[in-house]
Formats: sequence, C-alpha cells, structure tokens
Amino acid sequence: MAGSGLASRLYRGEAGLDVVGRRKLWFTVAGVLVLLALASFLIRGFNPGIEFAGGNVLRVPASVGTLEEVESRTDTILAEQGDEARVVTAQQVGGGGTGEEFYELKTTQLGPEQDTAARTALAQSFGINVDQISGDRVSKAWGDQVTSRALLGLVIFLAVVSIYLVLRFEWQMAVAAIASLLMNLVLTAGIYSAVGLEVTPSTVIGFLTILGFALYDVVVVFDKVQENTRGITANNNQTYGEAANLALNQSLMRSFNTSVVALLPVGSILFIGAFLLGAGTLKDLGLVLFVGMAVAFLTSILLATPLLVMMKNRDPRIQAHRKRIAARRSAIARGETPGRPAARAATGETEAEPVDAEPAALAGAAPKVGARPAAKRSSGARGGRPAGGSGNRPGGAKRR
Amino acid sequence: MRPGRQLAVLGAVFVVLYLLVFFAGGASGGWKDRLEPRLGLDLVGGTRLTLEATNTVDGRAPNSENLEEARRIIESRVNAFGVAEAEVVTEGDRNIVVSLPGENRDISEVGEAAELRFRKVLKIADGSGAAANPPPASPAPSGSASPAPSGGATPSAGATPSPRVSSSVAATASPAGGQGGAAPASPSPSASPSASSSAAAPTPSASAPPVTAGIEEQRKAVEAKVGPAAWAAATALQAPADLTADPSLAEKLKPFAGLTGREVAVLPAQMQFNVPQITCAQLDDRPPASISAEDQQVVACQGGAGKYLLDQAKVLGTDVDDANAVLDQTNQWVVSLDFSGSGQEKWTGLTREAFNNEGQACDAAALGDTGKCLVAVVLDNEIVSAPEIQGVLTGNSQITGNFTNAEASKLAGQLRFGALPLTFEPAESQNVTASLGASHLRAGLIAAGIGMLLVIIYSFFYYRLLGSVIFFSLILSALLVFGALVFLGRQIGFTLTLAGIAGMIVSLGVAADSFVIYFERLKDEIQEGRSPRSAVSRAWIRARRTIISANAITIMSAVVLYIVSVGTVKGFAFALGLATVLDLVVVFLFRHPIMTMFARTRAFLSPRVSGLGRVLPPRGVEPAKPRNPRVKEA
Repeated sequence: MAGSGLASRLYRGEAGLDVVGRRKLWFTVAGVLVLLALASFLIRGFNPGIEFAGGNVLRVPASVGTLEEVESRTDTILAEQGDEARVVTAQQVGGGGTGEEFYELKTTQLGPEQDTAARTALAQSFGINVDQISGDRVSKAWGDQVTSRALLGLVIFLAVVSIYLVLRFEWQMAVAAIASLLMNLVLTAGIYSAVGLEVTPSTVIGFLTILGFALYDVVVVFDKVQENTRGITANNNQTYGEAANLALNQSLMRSFNTSVVALLPVGSILFIGAFLLGAGTLKDLGLVLFVGMAVAFLTSILLATPLLVMMKNRDPRIQAHRKRIAARRSAIARGETPGRPAARAATGETEAEPVDAEPAALAGAAPKVGARPAAKRSSGARGGRPAGGSGNRPGGAKRR
Repeated sequence: MRPGRQLAVLGAVFVVLYLLVFFAGGASGGWKDRLEPRLGLDLVGGTRLTLEATNTVDGRAPNSENLEEARRIIESRVNAFGVAEAEVVTEGDRNIVVSLPGENRDISEVGEAAELRFRKVLKIADGSGAAANPPPASPAPSGSASPAPSGGATPSAGATPSPRVSSSVAATASPAGGQGGAAPASPSPSASPSASSSAAAPTPSASAPPVTAGIEEQRKAVEAKVGPAAWAAATALQAPADLTADPSLAEKLKPFAGLTGREVAVLPAQMQFNVPQITCAQLDDRPPASISAEDQQVVACQGGAGKYLLDQAKVLGTDVDDANAVLDQTNQWVVSLDFSGSGQEKWTGLTREAFNNEGQACDAAALGDTGKCLVAVVLDNEIVSAPEIQGVLTGNSQITGNFTNAEASKLAGQLRFGALPLTFEPAESQNVTASLGASHLRAGLIAAGIGMLLVIIYSFFYYRLLGSVIFFSLILSALLVFGALVFLGRQIGFTLTLAGIAGMIVSLGVAADSFVIYFERLKDEIQEGRSPRSAVSRAWIRARRTIISANAITIMSAVVLYIVSVGTVKGFAFALGLATVLDLVVVFLFRHPIMTMFARTRAFLSPRVSGLGRVLPPRGVEPAKPRNPRVKEA
C-alpha cells in the first residue's frame, strides 16, 4: 500500500498537490465562473416554480386514464372556471412500484372556490371520489414570503457565523471562509440558472443548508491550517503558504471523505425524490443540496485556503517571514552554511533537526516539505490547550 | 473520564428518554401506540392551509396579540367542523397554519371574513358601471329633511340590474330584552329591501383624515395614471356624476374605468363613490382590509351592484358578544344578536342615530322602506347585510329577513366570528390523500434506509472494522432521535414531515462526518508512529475541537433556519438541528469511550482489521527519516 501511486499518497496526505501556489489559476477560474454565473442570471434568469408565480397543483390518481386524456379533460373543466384558467404542465409522478401513480397537473392560480369547483367537476368526470384528488395551492405572496425569509435567514446566518469564525479562528480566516461561501452560493445559483432547474421555496431553503455544509468543509481545512501555522514566524523552514498547502494536503482525504459521506445520504434523497416521488420537497431539497455540497467541496479546497494565504501574505509579519525564508533558501542554494533557525533556541526544541538540504531544495517546487505532519506534535495545536503546557508531549494522556 | 462511566451516562440518557417516551407526557394506549411519532399531513394525508395576515400596510408584521387572538377564533371555527386533532398554530410573525389530519376538504373559508364593522349607510349609488344611465341618487349631501316615502327611496332596486336577495332585514328589539326599546319596532315583514348574504363589496379606506405618506404617494401615482383632467373632474364632483346632464364628463372620467382594485383603494372615499366609472367589480377587487379604518367614511358594494357610501364605523365586530340563528314566533329564521356591555351602549347609540336619522345624515335614497336609516354589516370589503333600523335598540336585537336556515347560520357565524382582528389571505394550501401520504412516508423511509446503508457500506469499505463503530453509533443516534421525536411530538407538538425526514437523512452525513474527522486524525497519529492506545486519546482531543466547531456551524444554520423560515422547512431545520445535537451526544458518550476500549484490545493492533493498518508504513519501505524534519512551534 505504501507505493507511490497518487491514491495512496493522497491517502497519507503526501500527494503534495500545490494548490496554494497555483492560486492565481484558481482565482481566474473562479472569476470566470462567477462572471458566467452572473451573465446567466441576467440572460437566462431562473426557472421559478409555481410557488413564485402563484398557482395550483392537482394530483389525480393515474388509474383514471391516460395522461393526455386527463390533461385535456382538466383543461376543459378549468376553462369553464373562467379567468383563463388552464393546465400549465402535466406529468406522471410516483410509481417505481412503491405506490399508486399520480398525474400532477400544474395550473394557473385558481381561487379557493374555483379550486373546489374544479375538483368536484374532475371527480365527477372521472367517476372518482373528490377526496381522491389532492392538490396544493400556492399564492404568489407565499413564494415571496419564503424568499424574503430565506434572505433574512442568510443575512442572520452570515452575521452569526462571521462572529463565530472570528472568535474561533481569526479574521482573515473568517473573511476567506465567508468569501468562499458566497462563491459557493453564486456558483450553485449559476448552475441552477444555466441548466434551467426549477427553483422552488424548498430550493431556496436548501440553499441555506448548503451554507452549513460549505463551512463544515472549510472549518475542517482551516483547523488544520491553524494548527500547522501556529508559531510559524518563529522558524525559517516554511512559509505560511507552504504550511497552509501542507495542511490542505493533509486534510484533503478528510475533506474528500466528509464530502462523500455527506453526499451519499443526500444522493439517496435525490434519488428517491426524483424517481419514486417524481417531484416535490424531497427532490428539490436533494438536488440543491447535492449540487451545493459538491461545489462546496471544491471551493473549500481550491478557494478558501488560497484566499486565506493571499490575505495572510499582506500581514507585515508574515511578509517579513517570507522574505527571511527566501533569503535563507537562496543562501542554501548557493551552498552556504544554512543559517540556524532563529527560533530554535527560543523553543528549546532539540528535536528540530538541522534542516537538510532536501526539503529546502524542493521547497521551491512542490512542497514536499514536511510530507509528514510534523507540526502536529506541537501541543499548542490542541483545542483550547486544555491541559495547559505539558510541552509537546502528549498532553492528552493526562486526561485519561 | 473512564470509558465505562461515559457509557453509563449514555445508558442513563437512554433509560430516561425511553421512560419519558413510554410513561410521560400523556403517553397512553398500548406499547405500540406509545411509540408512534406524530406524523405530518404530507405523510398521513390531510389538509393544511397557511393563512397570511395581509393588513400590514407597509409590510410590517401584525401585532402578536392580534395574531394570537385571530388564531383562537380560527381555531374555534375549525373546531366547528368537528374534525378530531385539528391543529391551528401561528407560524413566524404573520402566518396561521391550519392542519386537518386525515381530512381532505376545502377549508379556505376559515380565514375569511376577518373584520366586521357596523356602518350607517349614507348614500347609495349604482355601482354596476352602467354609466350611461346615471343612478337616481340625489346629489344633496344631506338629503331631504323628511324620510322619503319608502316607495321611491328603495335604494338601488331600480338602478341595479343584478338580482338581489330581497330579504327584509329589520333589527327589532327582541321580545325578551326589549325593556327599553323606545320605538316599539314592528317585526318588520318583508318590507325593507336589503340584500343579505349575497355579494361581496370591498370598500377602500381612503377617506380624508389621516392619510399616511405612503397612501399620499400612491394617490399621486394614480393621479398620474388617470391624467390631470380626469383627476380634476373627479375631485370637483360633489355627488355621483350625472352623466346624462353632462356627457362630456363621461369622457373625462373614462380613465378611472381602467384602474385596478389596488389603485382604486387609495382614492378618497368621496371619489370612489362619486365617479360612476368606478364599478363594484373594481371595488370588490380592492385588497383586503382596504376599508377597515374605523374613523373614516368608506365605500362598499352589496350584491356587486349597489354602491354604498358608509359612515364611520361606530360598532365593531369585537362588540358582538354572540349571534345565533334562531326560529322566531312566526317560524322564520332570524339572527339574534347580543352585544357586550360597552358594545351595547355603542349599538344603542348607533341605532338611535339611524332611527332618528340624526342630522339628516342619511340620504333620502338611502333610507329603508319605513323611512329609517340602514345600518350596513360590513365584513372585510363587502356588505353582507344592510338592515333597516326599526327602533332604538337597548337590548338583544334580531335581524329578520327571508332567511333560510343556512343563510341565517352563515350570517350569524359571520357576526360571531367576524371579530378576527386581522385580515388573512390563503397563502398556501396543500391537501394530500391518504394513499399519497403513505407513499410519501414510504419514500422517505426508503431514502433514509438507502442513505444509511450507503454510509455504512462506505465506512466499512474505508475503515474496515472501525466501520462497525460508525455502524453502532448511527444505530444509537437513530434510536435517540426516534425517542426524541416521539417525546417531542407529544410534548411540544413537533410533527415529522417529509422535509423533516430529509433533515434526518442529511444529518446522517453530519454524523458520519464527525467519524471521518476522528478517524483521519487517528490515522495521522498512527502514521506518526504512535501506538494505537496513545493515538486514540490524542486523536480524540484534537478531533474533538474540529468536530465541535463543525457541528456548531451546522447547528447554527439549523437554528437560524428554524427561527426565520416558514412552511415545511421549519420541520427540516428542527430535525437537522435535533439530529446534530444528538450526534454530539453519541460522539462524546459512545464513540470516544468505545474507541478507548477498542484500543486496548489486540484486534485493534492488527492493521488488517482496524483499517488503520494501511497507514502503518511497512517496515523498511519508508526510510527511517527523522520523524519530524520541520518546525517546532515557538
């Protein structure tokens, strides 16, 4: 298993993918995609479900006849109701051997009386009981209300989560996380707009749930980044970017696994919603979650961390640190004696071996650097440093 | 903490939860019944109606007390259907949700007829839009001094082409309570013509007094739409325009015919009344609550044809104590009316005013057959009945007419329940047949089953034996969630809907994620060369932090969703949040101790079994590099 195949290197977090180094590429790609998404909003717009325009749904058991027959008869009956009532779409839903099948007829908005009258007439026409016909009625105001509440929820959530991230991490991380989150939303909406998927209130709400998941991934990565870069300015082995990239590689499998594991149940919702029920809450939720979470996996890897590094590099301390390392590396490359890491004495850490030439030489290219998660040994990385300082020896042991 | 102690705590949690499930909070019936969670309408079939309060002028939410009062009234209406387990709850800050499990019926009327007002009828005009034939109403605002002989005065009978239920409606001092009835009201036979129950005519609340800035602006917009000439002509009108006398006026006023109900609603009442091009169709189309203001004169229609200018509302729906359809001595259906204490005073005042036609406020054309003023019963935008006042009424009153039992009951119901403090529009309704509900439930359970199976297969594939820890944790989580569902269903009325099932399924992912984080940590630790035992405790401490922060975010999003959202999504958010919290419980009280115990066993040390083996570098392949070529922290 310890071969050098990409899979097993990935598995051990040693794939050494240079994500951070190519951040310009990711930003360009993301920028282009965002532009495409915005263009799609403007040109194609969205495909709103009946909930946003107002409308009715009638569900008639499929046992009464063929779809065409049902549709035309319904249309006739609706026409008698006046107000240019008509069937907008008709489709067969349900089935899959799990239950009765239904014809779902979406119509223009009917008033309560018209709705009742239409159902009675339909039931008579098909010779079934009126309570075998089910249906929904949604006013435009409802769709608007759902959307405005969702937007309110979005704003509140972003505010709460920003505060949380600033407290839990640091402000640059909060900004990077929120930015990649917004990117995620724009891209998901872009996919909806470009493909022309139907947007319902359930979709809008599913959107808000993506937020949680997108951040979940980002938090997993940033947690590692924070751990790897703690006290990074105190030594000269690694720049912030490299440490972040390493963290990213180390948590890649973790991110991948969490995404897969989260997508599996969502996929089953989508599958059942789309194939067994044909339409409705399950399908809408499943679809938006599936698309959004898939996008979230990519943005959390390709955007959040590079963004973070970009912002961190503006920090004067990090900048100075970077220059120091560059100077030292060029010195090593010229064959001079490697400068002692200034910080070493300070930490009293004897284990930090003199840096051999290998990582330094490679450092310019792929961060083979520290293929092994060395920084993890630092006790400070623990959450909240609960056990206080027991050096870098397993503090956790005390807790047992 | 020792692993055994944590497991004991978990056991205690379980015992307590299931004791609650079986014995607390109204648990009853057989063991199986006690394990039934409350299922939503989309799973068992039934009808759900969401009513949205709409008399919120600038989009602000209505007063929460009013909403609660409206909920109670609607609940009593729903209960009148005699449906078991009907549920009426408020949702968000402006919605009322009515659920009737197991019933597939039209219940949209429960939210109707929100605001009841008693208003004296001042003038009557034709609202049919037959503008060419001007209505007969005489222009003088104060009418003629003496009550016009009833014959000619019969309001719009001649003018309105639409058929009207001609029910004579006379409020009479009922025999029982009639001590003070000054004018012994004759139980009027079928004399006075006033349509009861027939059509709806909305009246806009537009008359002069306190006009908000918003209305002023909208008025400007309407003025711009009809053009200055039409606006000036309409403003100049002192009475319903007599188009036969001045044909040019018809041309000028024409633009008013093109206004929507919403636009008509912002016009001043006088204008709505005076411009004949504004028809009852437009008035009926005004948004709800357009004429609810008590202190303004308004215009409303009856029967879609008669256009009435109405006085300020002196008696409100809340003043009505009770109203019932009863049979009087002559075997006629009448509606008897009871007022509350202060309401009775107001009612007496109003009837005195109307009976004596004080100040000759009522136009001659607007008097009843016996020459007394009419008092219109206005529900929302429509006049449901405009009985002539037969006396100064100090006690119980009766509205008589040629009512059928149903008509009388309906009017009585409107009077009794018309006191809704808010106006509602059906925003969303859903009815689901029982078989569709069953197929929803089945689909939801299948989705949950497949989702769980996939997650478990994946974890066994990836983590081998450790997969079994995930497996048992998920089972435990599921049991906890189920218990919580049953208990909360009884305790706080939480119902599990299809969206809720979706939330549960999504939370499977969250639960499994926390394992991935932990196991990947463990892998790292072992890779660093630790023994499984020490790796477990170290990995736990580090993973814990990540798990808590990640779950905290999921919980935050669930809480925000739950608080803010409307509709079925609330169920989704609740389920997601609940499952995530319970996942944390399982992580802390089950997963960690069980892993600690696992780490002590021999089997765990065998790489093949634990699934972590792959990360142990086969001896010799990985050069014994210094373990840590990098960086210690400062």
